[in-house]
Amino acid sequence: MVGLSLGEKHFIQGGIAQDIRSDGRKRLTYRPINVETGVIPQANGSARIRMGATDVISTVKAELGKPISLQPDKGKVSIYVDCSPTAAPMFEGRGGEELSTELSVALQRSLLGGKSGAGAGIDLSSLVVVEGKICWDLYIDCLVVCSDGNLLDALGAAIKAALSNTGIPRVQVAAGASGDEQPEVDISDEEFLQFDTSDIPVIVTLTKVGRHYIVDATTEEESQMSSAISISVNRKGHICGLTKRGGAGLDPSIVLDMISVAKHVSEQLINKLDSEIAAAEAGDDES
Amino acid sequence: MEFVSPEGLRLDGRRPMEMRQIRAEIGAVAKADGSAVFEMGNTKVIAAVYGPREVQNRTQQINDQALVRCEYSMANFSTGDRMRKPKGDRRSTEISLVIRQTMEACILTHLMPRSQIDIFVQVLQADGGTRSACINAATLALADAGIPMRDLVTSCSSGYLNSTPLLDLNYVEDSAGGPDVTVGFLPKVDKVTLLQMDSKLPIDIFENVMQLAIEGCKAIANYIREIMLENTKQLEYRRGI
Amino acid sequence: MAGKPGTTPTTYSPSPTTQKTRKPIFNKDDVDWVRPDGRGFHQCRPAFFRTGAVNAASGSAYAEFGNTKVIVSVFGPRESKKAMMYSDIGRLNCSVSYTTFATLVRGQGSEHKDFSSMLHKSLEGAIILETFPKTTVDVFALVLESGGSDLPVVISCASLALADAGILMHDLVASVSLSCLGKNLVIDPILEEESYQDGGLLITCMPSRYEVTQLTVTGEWSTPKINEVSLSTGIIAYFYPHLEELCCIREWNELHDFV
Repeated sequence: MVGLSLGEKHFIQGGIAQDIRSDGRKRLTYRPINVETGVIPQANGSARIRMGATDVISTVKAELGKPISLQPDKGKVSIYVDCSPTAAPMFEGRGGEELSTELSVALQRSLLGGKSGAGAGIDLSSLVVVEGKICWDLYIDCLVVCSDGNLLDALGAAIKAALSNTGIPRVQVAAGASGDEQPEVDISDEEFLQFDTSDIPVIVTLTKVGRHYIVDATTEEESQMSSAISISVNRKGHICGLTKRGGAGLDPSIVLDMISVAKHVSEQLINKLDSEIAAAEAGDDES
Repeated sequence: MEFVSPEGLRLDGRRPMEMRQIRAEIGAVAKADGSAVFEMGNTKVIAAVYGPREVQNRTQQINDQALVRCEYSMANFSTGDRMRKPKGDRRSTEISLVIRQTMEACILTHLMPRSQIDIFVQVLQADGGTRSACINAATLALADAGIPMRDLVTSCSSGYLNSTPLLDLNYVEDSAGGPDVTVGFLPKVDKVTLLQMDSKLPIDIFENVMQLAIEGCKAIANYIREIMLENTKQLEYRRGI
Repeated sequence: MAGKPGTTPTTYSPSPTTQKTRKPIFNKDDVDWVRPDGRGFHQCRPAFFRTGAVNAASGSAYAEFGNTKVIVSVFGPRESKKAMMYSDIGRLNCSVSYTTFATLVRGQGSEHKDFSSMLHKSLEGAIILETFPKTTVDVFALVLESGGSDLPVVISCASLALADAGILMHDLVASVSLSCLGKNLVIDPILEEESYQDGGLLITCMPSRYEVTQLTVTGEWSTPKINEVSLSTGIIAYFYPHLEELCCIREWNELHDFV
């Protein structure tokens, strides 16, 4: 996959051990993050995030649907990731499906909380229009345009940015409908409701190379990893989801240490991302 | 339905012979050997080129020329109503084939025997004319990858609605069911390499409609040339020449 | 929390709930809440393991945790398909599928892609893949009955089947899941508890090496709760000798003689 010579491998590993990586970053420094919002006008909200050469687009589309009978007071959110073959020739045909599923599941795990809906980054009860009858279904579709490592963090950030960009039309429910009838609704073209995205967690992936962890690994660095842990942390410092990748075993104490490092990193990332999103939104409004 | 108002304006306010705004950008995908974004109004596509490189599947290797492959895919969010499309449906297979044949015809494949060139086009937004936009984006991406070509092939579509030839149909006009002529054109050698039409048209009108599409192709070719010139100047500047 | 407070039944009815709004299985403030099957919070369901369940396979195992019943067969190591590239380490191919009758609602009986990749990730760290280059080991897991905590049972059972097939491993892989229900952490949840959970945790480890090979967390967890992960590793340590003793002493010894 990644063709690296022995010398290059040693260079990457040695750099990480000495806290100066191939591109000059420290172990816990991110690449510059570039946020663009409103890139897909057909969607209710969209954003494009670029971190170095990694480039992802995330869109949010809202459709009216019916809540599931077990949770009448909650809307539905589904997340799908698609790996475009433009990102790498190996994603051609069905080649990207495996990675797409893995990323979709990891994002759902990180952002949507437990089965009961508790701990979800998106407040599902705010999506209900008429309890038990009508709710908004949010479809979050992500596209990987270019991949240079750290896809999960980029996708998580893109979803956060896309949700901040999302406007959900205000719905007027026609009065008088009662009983089992499906009430009639009127969707406003002008009034939009914004999302509160402050509770949406960010995903921090710590890649373990040798004895050290690095954030925001590039493809070359990822090829040298022994294992990686993706932790999603919200503003309160609570863990909202965790996924381990890579086969090598880890001592439980290392896992706990990685979690505390990730928490520390996430604070900076949340602040940085918020200011970038705010800047992108401001620029978007002007143009 | 009225597609051209009595004042001679189309649904989106264009004149019949007016093209949508086009915009192109070279180098949208950092990891690819060549890439480009091409926009025609609301239609937006990304093309990435990988190669020439070693043939992945040895059985497909051709000993006297390069193997050109193409895959067309649409993002889930590209259309107005969200749909999850399975990969490799008939429509995208057909478009992949059309793009592949068009690009193969203008690449100097005999210069790169036993190698493979992959062209991937990804539709981000579809608003009619994705076929043309993909071909234009692929041309730019191939040029960016430095692949030798006979000419810059460009493409544009035209139609015939309300007894008026229309240039560069958008989605609403395209789905009206009228004739839709897509032309692929080599501007320097002045030759047509791709010609497709749905529905029916009298021969004398067809000539006009096709001529209109060819004029569109020429305009796009001029624009693409400008973009590439600009890109080359930038490269020159960065290298300090 | 699902449902409305105040309508909580004091006892649990085992019949599948058919009413539209489900009643929560426990009250937030109920201190004396007992689990539907009467277990303690930190108690596993009665487990049963047996190796050699499928004759045609190179190794196989059957596991039963309460109502969860799975069968895993291992084929190989056998020659990798010709189309695959040369590889100087072995390949592991995992597939988890459900029978059509495994769930309450008749299912499709198709492959569970998500579980398959999880199983792969949990096992690849334990198997010494360097010992069989150019070959593939296939692990096929079939969930006969789904009674909650399906994946942990599949993982533990698969490691046993691999041992039965004589495939070299660093250690057996044991796995368990936790559910977070309100303030309580319950181990080895059943289907009922899983569907109400506010958060879940799945941990897979190699007990004698004390290494975690796979860990996933869903839902919101505070730091002290995460620290309770050690609880689950403790539980695994408890359940591991059980795994080792009960079912594969013979195979395990053979393996050691072989090494």
